[in-house]
Amino acid sequence: MTDSDLLARYNYDSFVPELFEPWMRFDESPPLGEPAPDFPLWDLDSQESSLVAQWSAHRYLVVEFGSFT
Amino acid sequence: MNQLARDFAAAEVGSIFLYTNEAHPGEHYPHHTSMEQKLVHAAALRDRLHVDRPILVDALSGDCHRRFGSMPNMTWIFDSRGVPLYKSDWSDADSVRGMLDQLMALPERRRSGVRIAPFQVERMEWREADRGRFQKGLELSGPKAVEEFRKAFG
Repeated sequence: MTDSDLLARYNYDSFVPELFEPWMRFDESPPLGEPAPDFPLWDLDSQESSLVAQWSAHRYLVVEFGSFT
Repeated sequence: MNQLARDFAAAEVGSIFLYTNEAHPGEHYPHHTSMEQKLVHAAALRDRLHVDRPILVDALSGDCHRRFGSMPNMTWIFDSRGVPLYKSDWSDADSVRGMLDQLMALPERRRSGVRIAPFQVERMEWREADRGRFQKGLELSGPKAVEEFRKAFG
């Protein structure tokens, strides 16, 4: 899959099962009890941060994933 | 979830909202084609839906979201070393609160002298599914989002 294919498929334009279901792979997500991978993230001012920066700043970190829609 | 964040903030529990792809793209909030657009949508989450936790935005390609399972509204809890202690394929404040209460009790349990050890459990939980509120959310996205959800789930 090319980068442009990935962008188009991940950012699907219609909520139809054949477009959104392939992405839903909770069963393949990182296991509990083992260090999770880090990723870059951006705040609303486009300043770069990371998951590591977030969780290392707290005793515990609650992360809710989602979107406006 | 906003209230939950406030309730546990003094106990050094951080809470963030991690912005992903649009689950129900519509006329008003279509699928993302640029990072700038994704940031605008994330700001709308703060301004129109009043999410007052820090909002962090994933890459346009959803690298973080995809690695963690790509569910549209999941919640994870990490310790300060990045070890996930809780993961739920849907966000439910009562469920998260139960886990945080358990975590907050750990120091006292350790101080009591009882030897404790971690274990993992899988179980089903049931949340309140407020269809009316959900419908209003779809309407904010636009008629397309409403119709596509109706076709998918009736």
